[in-house]
Amino acid sequence: MNDEKTPAAKSGASVRVAAAPAECTLAELPVGRSAVVIYMKPSLRGKKKFADVGIVPGTLLEMEAHAPFGGLLRIKVMESSLSIHRDDAANIIIRMQERP
Amino acid sequence: MSRKYRIVLAGNPNCGKTTIFNCLTGARQHVGNYPGVTVESKTGKFMLGEDEIEIIDIPGVYSLSSSSPEEGVAFEELTKPGIDLIMNVIDSSIPQRSLYLSTQLAELHIPMLIVFNMSDEAKKKGLNFNIQKLQSYFGCSIVQTVGSRGDGIDKLKNALAESLLHLEDHDVPKLTYGADVDDAIREIVEWIEPAMTDRVRHIPARFFAIKLLEKDSCVMRLPDFQNLDAIIDAQITHLYARHAITAETFMADCRYAMISGACRDAISFTQERRREISDKIDAVVTNQWVGLPLFFAIMYLMFWFTFTCAAPMTDGIEWLFGWIQSLIERFWSPDFQPVLRSLLIDGVIHGVGGVIVFLPNILFLFLAIAFLEDTGYMARAAFVMDGIMRKFDLQGKSFVPLVLGFGCNVPAIMATRSIESERDRRTTILVLPLMSCGARLPIYALLIPAFFAVKYQAFVMFLIYAIGVAFAMLAARLLKSTLFKGDGEVYLMELPPYRVPTAKSILLHMWDRGVMYLQKAGTIILGVSVLLFIANNYPEKKTFDVDYGAQIMAVAANTSLTPEEQADAFKHIERLRHAEAAEYTVSGRVGKFLEPAFRPIGFDWRVTTAAISALAAKEIFVSQLGILYAEDTESAGDGEDEQEPLRQQLRRAYTPLQGFCMMLFCLLSIPCLATLAIIRRELNSWKWMFFEAAGLFVLAYVTTFIVYQLGLLLKIGTNYLL
Repeated sequence: MNDEKTPAAKSGASVRVAAAPAECTLAELPVGRSAVVIYMKPSLRGKKKFADVGIVPGTLLEMEAHAPFGGLLRIKVMESSLSIHRDDAANIIIRMQERP
Repeated sequence: MSRKYRIVLAGNPNCGKTTIFNCLTGARQHVGNYPGVTVESKTGKFMLGEDEIEIIDIPGVYSLSSSSPEEGVAFEELTKPGIDLIMNVIDSSIPQRSLYLSTQLAELHIPMLIVFNMSDEAKKKGLNFNIQKLQSYFGCSIVQTVGSRGDGIDKLKNALAESLLHLEDHDVPKLTYGADVDDAIREIVEWIEPAMTDRVRHIPARFFAIKLLEKDSCVMRLPDFQNLDAIIDAQITHLYARHAITAETFMADCRYAMISGACRDAISFTQERRREISDKIDAVVTNQWVGLPLFFAIMYLMFWFTFTCAAPMTDGIEWLFGWIQSLIERFWSPDFQPVLRSLLIDGVIHGVGGVIVFLPNILFLFLAIAFLEDTGYMARAAFVMDGIMRKFDLQGKSFVPLVLGFGCNVPAIMATRSIESERDRRTTILVLPLMSCGARLPIYALLIPAFFAVKYQAFVMFLIYAIGVAFAMLAARLLKSTLFKGDGEVYLMELPPYRVPTAKSILLHMWDRGVMYLQKAGTIILGVSVLLFIANNYPEKKTFDVDYGAQIMAVAANTSLTPEEQADAFKHIERLRHAEAAEYTVSGRVGKFLEPAFRPIGFDWRVTTAAISALAAKEIFVSQLGILYAEDTESAGDGEDEQEPLRQQLRRAYTPLQGFCMMLFCLLSIPCLATLAIIRRELNSWKWMFFEAAGLFVLAYVTTFIVYQLGLLLKIGTNYLL
């Protein structure tokens, strides 16, 4: 795995404070916020793998944490905690939920 | 009338399959609280009344397809003919995700029994199940268990016995994925049913139809379905146009929709108290800033625990062997069977005893590792370390095997199977021997106190481990940028909730490891020690080049010497005589022959023989030095002096620089034969195994050479620091 980030992943780090748009990528979801999966970009690798663990359109998920040095994200999906890479998350389009 | 049945345990990673397996069979297969502990199918047997049950524990999978090696193994195992029943273990605290696999297993139409494991956690979360409804939904019995405590195992056995009585007339689940999907499945079934050969006939066509709809590569590869592309594609296009969704995720979507329907009916929440404690701990442990320092603190604590807590016990065992030796010496006269006596004292007690002394360190090290595994911290460590690992072109998943490598390289290399990316897996296997394993620990534990003052000891130990890790990382980077170039795979790892490990599970793991260590000491190390004893003593030199007897007489006759000077001179002559005798032996000859090659890295012939024999098992290094120097004392002291401890003799014979070089060489050089064998098996190649052995030898030699020569040049470590 090379550690060059895609443009989307790079912007993900900086958008965190700004008011997030209704639809964005999973990589841009701030820690502690929830979102619903809208669709997967065709460029997402291993779609089936993500689908198998429950990341399918309509799933509610929550950003739990960012790993040190930016690579991994930790999200809560269907009661379980998954870690996935930011580059892959940048290919998953979500709609952010209102703060409770 | 006794019958034989064959059942398969299937389920998600980390749902407790192996715990259930252990409960049923009484086996002690390794379990841990992170996904991917079981990497190989394991078979066990148990009796159920009169019947003999063969049970197969397969690696955990999320889906019955082929997106990772484990899924391939599971798919193959489950589609083999001759399975009487599938025992589907699910983590009932995450029912939705867990039942996803059940929906696929149910389509195999093999009698099934669902085990709702971890039902205590489900209860704590406030989940209530309508078991009746779920049973009729999946067409099979459901049993609730708590594997870690053994709760519900009797009920499970009863349900199993009941299910086995109805194998012929078991229920078939009636799963529906929505009208149009069901139509498409029916359509494909009509086409593929005639095409199916006997090889796959035991599996319903409907199962394959669904797999073909989601374009599963495992099924699409089967020769039976080669000419049906057009028909399947037509159905796919028809469905996907209506649902505006891609092929790979379409069925997943349908299954989850179906499960959420079922869950709405049969599963209810009474309260929302989900993973609260676990989440609170994780807010700190996987925190972006605190996570890493905390990880390093935990690693430090692990090693501190291994060395500090074991020290009093190590001393105790040392004392015990000393006591046994003194007993033998007192009651076994040196004139009676002297060779056997010497074999027992020098070969067995110094060779094997020298290794057993470090048993407490091994026990504590494995205790610490088992604790990290069972609590669920390993998965967190992989998460926080992923960023750093990626800087060296590895990834978080490589991390768990690397930490396990501190215990023993062999299971660690097997644990790499949970890494999906073949390139990452190969790289991890090849760098793993650089992680200093428990068997190398006795070497450091012997040498460090011999050459370094107390205040430097912890630092030197840390340095040795750190050098191993640093070389592993650099080697990984090198391998990934040359031999294993290319993009990584998708990263996906589940972080299980923290669980309080049961004392039984941790202590059993430690106990098993301790027994293994003692077995190794009693077999390989004992055997090699006896061989080394023989090689170190034979052939015996009968006639010496120098007349030592005359020299001794001359010293005795010299009246100008004080008694002390005389004693010293005797000792000196005795040492020379012994040295000449030792060089005549097999070890001496081999060592002397190779010495010129090893001299530039600071080894004399004794260390050279120790380093070579360490190939059998790393601890042998300690045994060989113990045997060689035990003989020295005997002949030099002539039984008059107290036995001089090995460490003092080493200090007299070598400089701290040489001591450090020995450790460095043992750390980096060719791993033990068991590790080489597992590397060959896991990489399925002799070529890679030899490449690994040669590469590590060159690395060890060059590094030690540079350190030794630089040390000599700059006069570092050539004298004792006190």
